[in-house]
Amino acid sequence: MARFRFAEDVRVLPGLVALALFVVMAAAFLGANLPDPAGFPADATLIADIGYSLFDFTDESGVPTEGFLAAFELIDLVLVAALVGAILLAKREDGSIGNPLNWGDDE
Amino acid sequence: MIPTEYFLLLSAGIFCIGLFGVLTRRNALVFLMSVELMLNAANLNFIAFSHMHGNLVGQTFSLFAMALAAAEVAVGIGIVLALYRNFKGVDVTIPTSMRW
Repeated sequence: MARFRFAEDVRVLPGLVALALFVVMAAAFLGANLPDPAGFPADATLIADIGYSLFDFTDESGVPTEGFLAAFELIDLVLVAALVGAILLAKREDGSIGNPLNWGDDE
Repeated sequence: MIPTEYFLLLSAGIFCIGLFGVLTRRNALVFLMSVELMLNAANLNFIAFSHMHGNLVGQTFSLFAMALAAAEVAVGIGIVLALYRNFKGVDVTIPTSMRW
């Protein structure tokens, strides 16, 4: 069984930037005077309403929302493009993708 | 009801953990995981503000952000595979050009 150990390739100094950013953001958020959350009605069917929102049936939704049908179609294209791009990137120069069960070994 | 500021604080924490990973690590897979953390921090913000305004736009939009994250990871894993095949490792500091 592999033992837990800390990573050895950590460059800690640049990480201080992240820490400083957190301090700045925490100060900004805790100092912000945001209104109380409106929340949702207890009988709201949020999942169904998200579905209505995705397909532009905003009149059916019991909670205020907008239509996202165009974005839904666009994301569909993006996902297909990413799938094709991932296969193109992963295949070897001879066009094969090898046996995925052996990926990581010296093929 | 939980104030929105607390959600934002949690989101800032998650985002900064992701940023810490991106800035400090060299492993491409850890890079990808860190970017995921940053994207999910943004999703948390969307949902917090959706809750604050009482409408569903933020929640629906966070679904699209998740789909984009999946697309990004698919391409990222493809790049990691190409990196491993050409450099026998996934250290992102070794490749210095787009061609090899």
